[in-house]
Amino acid sequence: MSSATPSPDPRSHHKRHSILPAVSQSGPKPPVQFSSSCTIADSALLTGPHTIIVSTESVIHPRARLESLGGRVTVGRRCIVHERACLGAADLQGRYHKGSPDKDGRSMGAVTLGDYVTVEVGAQVESGGTVIGEGTTVGIGTRVGAGAVVGKHCTLTANSTVAAGEVIPDYTVIYSNGLRRVDKRGVSDLKNKAQARQIDVLRRLIPSNPAKFQ
Amino acid sequence: PPRGEYIETDTGNKVARKATLVGTQNIMLGGKTVIQPDVMIRGDLARTIPSSHSSAGGSAGGSGGPGGSNTAVAIGRYCFLSRGCCLRPPGRVYKGVFTHMPLRLGDHVYIGPGTVVQAAQIGNHVHIGAKVVIGEFAIIKDYVKVLDGSVVPPNMVIPSFSIVAGQPARIIGEIPEGGIEAFELRELYKTVGNNPVPATG
Repeated sequence: MSSATPSPDPRSHHKRHSILPAVSQSGPKPPVQFSSSCTIADSALLTGPHTIIVSTESVIHPRARLESLGGRVTVGRRCIVHERACLGAADLQGRYHKGSPDKDGRSMGAVTLGDYVTVEVGAQVESGGTVIGEGTTVGIGTRVGAGAVVGKHCTLTANSTVAAGEVIPDYTVIYSNGLRRVDKRGVSDLKNKAQARQIDVLRRLIPSNPAKFQ
Repeated sequence: PPRGEYIETDTGNKVARKATLVGTQNIMLGGKTVIQPDVMIRGDLARTIPSSHSSAGGSAGGSGGPGGSNTAVAIGRYCFLSRGCCLRPPGRVYKGVFTHMPLRLGDHVYIGPGTVVQAAQIGNHVHIGAKVVIGEFAIIKDYVKVLDGSVVPPNMVIPSFSIVAGQPARIIGEIPEGGIEAFELRELYKTVGNNPVPATG
């Protein structure tokens, strides 16, 4: 006999509802600049007083966090931000760093992602002028310190750490417990093409709701 | 009546109300499986390549969507997904098109808190520790123990009866003869839910 409360049994074949507990959009609603072709999941979390920019064809998965408490968050073109990743995170003491102005005197903004960047599940990219170069993959659970500058086409494998303010040269692979080596495969173009194909599929799989944030 | 922390289904699955299950049509739970709060299962990342035997008489198909179920995540019996873990189907470029492949868990699989699983297949009686990362398309056979904090690289195949640890994960030992009973999760299943039975021993 079934219980009185309607239980969404994932094995039944009636119409099922996703069990998505409501995400409370706490904090100020940020001003946003979304490209018309980007995909923002409905349960993405965007907070902060500064602007959040998501460029052409980028994908923000459900439950990804974009926090602009330390400054502007810029996501480049064809980026993928997985669930539970946080762009503009506080550091381990809970402080949101504000970037120091660059040589032209402009504010660096909290986090800047180049094009074709993938930020995987649970990665924390701290705010404070952090720059992730084009084509880089920030692995699962990785923490990128405040103000770090990661080069292009780098691979930060899972659970790695980039110290605050560190500069990582292009094509670096950070693996194991902090070991580094250089990626000499020369597959950057192929990876970019594969990312474009992945984004085509993700745009169909993830229902986008940019209007919710505008 | 007060709402319990878990939803208990007819087949004995205990799914926490605060778990995030996206795309539940594509998630198959075997029965007697526990899903704790803050678990995230991406059932929406399902396979997008149409299978070779497409449904005939498609015009009479059901509301929207294809007729057959398109499983993204299949979980066996007596599995235990601890708090904060994330199950995500792996994806790759297959025949020129990017697609996700189903993530299949066997029976009696324990997944520790904070773990991220992107494997292709996990066998029966597997114990995965806390804060583990299982890379895409990894295959874990039966009776394997993955220690806390391991990072299993993509495409790794872990043979049966291994103990695996490290970053990247390496086989560091074998499950001893008497160690098989430790993988059973029936007792653990009874200790959670709306009417938990206290754990013994």
